[in-house]
Amino acid sequence: MTKDFNIDDISNLASIHLEEKEKLKLQKDLEIVLEHVDALKNIDVKDEKIDIHPLSKVLELREDESTPSLSHEDAMKNSPETKDGHFVVPPSIE
Amino acid sequence: MNRNIPSISKLNNLFLDKELKPSELFEQVYENASFTESILHAHLELFYDEGLENSKKSDERFLKGESIGKLDGIPIAIKDNINVYGYKTTCSSKMLSNYVSPYDATVIGMLKETGSTFTGKTNLDEFAMGSSTENSAYGPTKNPWNPDYVPGGSSGGSAAVVSAGSAVASLGSDTGGSIRQPASFCGVVGFKPTYGTVSRFGLIAFASSLDQIGPITNTVDDARIIFDNIQGYDPKDATSIKPEYTEPKNKKLKIGIIKELMQEGVSEDSQNEVNKVTQLLENSGHEVVETSLPLTEMALSVYYLIAPAECSANLSRFDGVRFGLREPASGSYEMMNKTRAVGFGEEVKKRILLGTYALSAGYFDEYYGRALKVRSKIISDFQKAFDDFDFLISPTTPSPAFKFGEKTENPLEMYLSDLCTIPANLAGLPAISIPTGLSDNNMPLSIQLMGKPCSDYSLLDLAESIEDMVSFNHLPKMTKGDK
Amino acid sequence: MSLKPTIGMETHVELDTESKMFCSCKVVETDEPNISLCPTCLGLPGALPVPNKKAIEYIVMLSLGANCSITKEGMFHRKNYFYPDLPKNYQISQFDFPVGVEGSLEIVIEDSLHTVAIERVHMEEDTGKSIHLGSGRIDSATSTLLDFNRSGVPLVEVVTKPIISSAKMAVAYIEELRQLVIDLGISKGKLEKGNLRFDANISVAEEGSDELGVKVEIKNMNSLKSLEKAIDYEILRQTKMVQDKESIIQETRHWDENKQVTLSMRTKEGSADYRYFSDPDLPNMVINEEFIEISQNQIKETPEKKRKTLLDTGLSLSDSNYLDKGQRWLYELYLSTVKETFDCKSTFNFLTGELQGQMRKAEISELPQWVNSEKLAGLINLFENNEVSFTSAKDILAKLLIEDIDPKSFASDNNLIQSSDNDEIKTLVTSVINENQDIVERLENPEDKLVGFLVGQVMKSSESKVNPGSVKEVLLKELFG
Ligand SMILES: [Mg+2]
Ligand SMILES: [Zn+2]
Repeated sequence: MTKDFNIDDISNLASIHLEEKEKLKLQKDLEIVLEHVDALKNIDVKDEKIDIHPLSKVLELREDESTPSLSHEDAMKNSPETKDGHFVVPPSIE
Repeated sequence: MNRNIPSISKLNNLFLDKELKPSELFEQVYENASFTESILHAHLELFYDEGLENSKKSDERFLKGESIGKLDGIPIAIKDNINVYGYKTTCSSKMLSNYVSPYDATVIGMLKETGSTFTGKTNLDEFAMGSSTENSAYGPTKNPWNPDYVPGGSSGGSAAVVSAGSAVASLGSDTGGSIRQPASFCGVVGFKPTYGTVSRFGLIAFASSLDQIGPITNTVDDARIIFDNIQGYDPKDATSIKPEYTEPKNKKLKIGIIKELMQEGVSEDSQNEVNKVTQLLENSGHEVVETSLPLTEMALSVYYLIAPAECSANLSRFDGVRFGLREPASGSYEMMNKTRAVGFGEEVKKRILLGTYALSAGYFDEYYGRALKVRSKIISDFQKAFDDFDFLISPTTPSPAFKFGEKTENPLEMYLSDLCTIPANLAGLPAISIPTGLSDNNMPLSIQLMGKPCSDYSLLDLAESIEDMVSFNHLPKMTKGDK
Repeated sequence: MSLKPTIGMETHVELDTESKMFCSCKVVETDEPNISLCPTCLGLPGALPVPNKKAIEYIVMLSLGANCSITKEGMFHRKNYFYPDLPKNYQISQFDFPVGVEGSLEIVIEDSLHTVAIERVHMEEDTGKSIHLGSGRIDSATSTLLDFNRSGVPLVEVVTKPIISSAKMAVAYIEELRQLVIDLGISKGKLEKGNLRFDANISVAEEGSDELGVKVEIKNMNSLKSLEKAIDYEILRQTKMVQDKESIIQETRHWDENKQVTLSMRTKEGSADYRYFSDPDLPNMVINEEFIEISQNQIKETPEKKRKTLLDTGLSLSDSNYLDKGQRWLYELYLSTVKETFDCKSTFNFLTGELQGQMRKAEISELPQWVNSEKLAGLINLFENNEVSFTSAKDILAKLLIEDIDPKSFASDNNLIQSSDNDEIKTLVTSVINENQDIVERLENPEDKLVGFLVGQVMKSSESKVNPGSVKEVLLKELFG
């Protein structure tokens, strides 16, 4: 199964640029882990339900009330770049 | 300096009896920190000014007889993946080197109410991913018992500061053992509460369904006091619960030794501690029996699919857009790609990639989906075990602390050091590690206890009785004695 | 080879709640950027989501209004994709357990009723807004500004089955859906404000074929007009490609309002592997019978119910649909007026034609408080009973819009009441016949156009004070016996 593991596709999906040298190391490490987790294939899970949480709990909903938010200053203070109260990024459309 | 810090209850009595002032304690703890930090590198940042100021407010309260409670004036260290308003929260990542939190985590808000003071923020494996604190972008933390050894991880800094006496207690977070394993390596108490009893709001998420904040302390009673002050339902955390804490039916307890954690892969040292404690428990009238939880052997595999899958999405928000590191680029996508390439360390990248793969089209059922189902089976195995047993016992770690660089070559070697702690996270169980002895090379050894969900207080009671029986009173070598 | 288009619509509806979907920030309508943010909707590290109960009530109402069944045990998923205006780089949405499934909406196209099958209605959160700076052309931006006020605003996505067959049908569907959310009171429903935003999935296939063609998604249509044009354009484009034996690629295209064409988007966003998985921050959501009942009880009106009420007054389907989709006060005014006129068509015509026309001309958007159904019915009855001419009725209406008058007394006081007195008419008719002997001689039968001319002459000589119907009656009797 590790043969269809394409590090370029995955890094692209994860939005992480990888250098060639890094790719080799990561590919190797991931293959080791994937080989290990292959053991799960021997467990019969046909009738098993899926648990997302360790404790079963029903979602509690919040009343529709607004409370004061972060001040504009606090919201923006970590921003790498701002302009006229906006966050600025390099163009997101080519 | 005096590493031998009294328990929180004793400190509280000293404050009440006017034999010690909180500010004096703070100065003493700070002095310990100044003495050890250059070697240990356990704190990433010390809050001297605000800490001293707060402890002086405690002085006032004790003077006027208006102290708030047992934590009033107690200096506590905070793992640097928990947000404290106005301070940096770096997660030991380059990604957040300049990130200043604009809000308090719920647990921080609760601790502020208790009158406790913060010593500062402690080192961790980047984004809590690791078992040795070697993955910190700001350099590793050393083990106070021997600086050639790792303090464990990911809460290595939080364990080391308590062990070294540069904080009375600390908060850590535990996703697969990140409180218990470093507590074990550093010879202190580490408690991971039942999932949902302590709010995760403000804890920078690694794996949301597994993460839980808990205390690292010198004594079990200290852990109980901290837990008491940070537990409780939080409307800001949808996974938070309104716990009904349980008590065992009988005074005479039935305790199960997990067979799968007492075999090959777990050192004799570690097994011996369990056997030693078993003897003590039997001597005091409890019943201890070996029991089998066969799927325990699958826990590591389940964990290394679920945790990376969740983290791959949780860590998507680190993109250079609104906060943190930003690498220059001509377009947004390139900027995000480069920022994440530069900002994340290797282990973090590895887990994000692993999780991305496990969730991707065509592999979901095979990996993530299957892991969830095996997790369900593990949960029901535990439920069955707790029909028969009040508590379960095992080693906390397969072996005592290892040396730097010893497990960095093969990822699996490092992952295996969480073998005994991961099952409790998968099942959401409360679990505690307490120090019980020393190895031949004078490194701490420990045992782990697990309870059913919401048995937190009775688990602490049992841990405390074991603590009394083993009376572990060794101190780390490097900090022993006076300056 | 004959080709038929198939269209599926995906519509995002912004809910009109006080606070956002997963945090307590106020939903704001402002140009001031980044003023309603918290760690959760800004995607700061450590923040967690907690869902808004009202929003869940609203989506249950919408699902019921669209005749869906409700998923009692559902959950939220994370939809993963990187985009700068999506703070967490995943959107909390729903995947395999949407709140509403398998519903339908009745829609009206001109004079006929159709049904659009709804596949799913699910809950999600909105993104922030991007402003692309540069030379003004979208494809040469120099930087992008981000405002996250909209981030986390509750959105409901309504997805139809691929069964819409024309641009007109798509427009009628959006009109019906828009009216539904307005009547339910769950969204402001303003297209120009982006309260409703729609994408169209379009394919063409051979007539009679069971298989659908390659699907192209069209985005960025912000009015019903552009929706209609974009769909027509895209059908034409695809049809031509198939006829020219070119293969259509599955892609997302965007409607260029200036060029009036659809263009391929070519952004890197398009990695379609969203890696949906259940959000571990949110336990499963149970919508029980009690919750459904509470939501159901909040439904006062739906366009379907309103349309039935209108049809029951005797109005045609297209007229009913017109009022159904119009302003609320006009709908209510019609219903109360027709109760007193018993004449649906003339009431409809008078209110939608004359009344709305004069209000437009006078530039008033609200009726003066003295203009009620009683007065309007009185006025309609006046001209319907031939007591005043239609011209006079229009004058009376104009007066009524500026002054509190009683139409009937006003007509009498101002000498506008038409005479139906046959003696008086006979006198007038006789003199017109006498004065127009040359025309009378040319008359061949009662249907002759010249009869109308003679009626007109009589009306003129009476200064329109007589009833034209009675005039014609008397005139024909005089001429043809
Ligand atoms: Mg959507
Ligand atoms: Zn917010």
